[in-house]
Amino acid sequence: MADSAKAETGVAGRTYPPVNFQIDSTRVAAFANAIGADPAAGVPPTFAAVYSLGATAPQLFGDPEAAVDFARLLHAEQEFTWTRHPRPDETVTSRGRVASDVNRRGMRFMSFETDTTDQRGQPVCRSKALFVIRS
Amino acid sequence: MSRREVTFTKEQIAAYAEASGDRNPIHLDDDFARTVGLPGVIAHGMLQMGLMATVAAEAAGGPDKLRRLYCRFAGMVVPGDTVTFTAGPLAPGRLDLKAVNQMGEAVLTKSVAEYG
Repeated sequence: MADSAKAETGVAGRTYPPVNFQIDSTRVAAFANAIGADPAAGVPPTFAAVYSLGATAPQLFGDPEAAVDFARLLHAEQEFTWTRHPRPDETVTSRGRVASDVNRRGMRFMSFETDTTDQRGQPVCRSKALFVIRS
Repeated sequence: MSRREVTFTKEQIAAYAEASGDRNPIHLDDDFARTVGLPGVIAHGMLQMGLMATVAAEAAGGPDKLRRLYCRFAGMVVPGDTVTFTAGPLAPGRLDLKAVNQMGEAVLTKSVAEYG
């Protein structure tokens, strides 16, 4: 039966406290070099992996009630949507939440969304990650 | 069409781990990676996406033009793999993104960028 093969596992809808993140220009340069981008061209768009997803995902991974088996976790999909790109040395605030958490065919699918805003509360970026945790 | 070919190395994966803060041992420690059923260390999906984004940015006219990026991580990338990243027009303001390894296998699928 379809219903028994698909079950919510409990932490869907969970939100985590906001995390402030200062976009350090030295780290931006190291990140740009690692992906072969021009360090002089500002903050690489996928630095959102650090200031948005990376700032909040540790809250999920460290949440004993969420019980994410990090060693068996695969990052299956990722989307970033930018209202604007942040500037070096800007401080942004990211808020993560579990959008869905479903078991299907012996695997756990977690959708984790993060909204990043600037210091005036204006939107900067939204991250949507799909994690698959193998059993 | 913008294009970039990258041969992945352990050093590059380690540099990305350090810069991004994602130090999951599956990216850094061959022995650990094998204990969880992997062939050895694998590249971060986000490293693949970061490289893909540089190609998308070139096709879009600059990184600041990117408004949306979506990638599905469909295949593992290990050190020694050579991946060709391409970004080509799909519709106005929209790019089709492809990443294919040396065996002709897509490592990113259904991937798109929007710009403007």
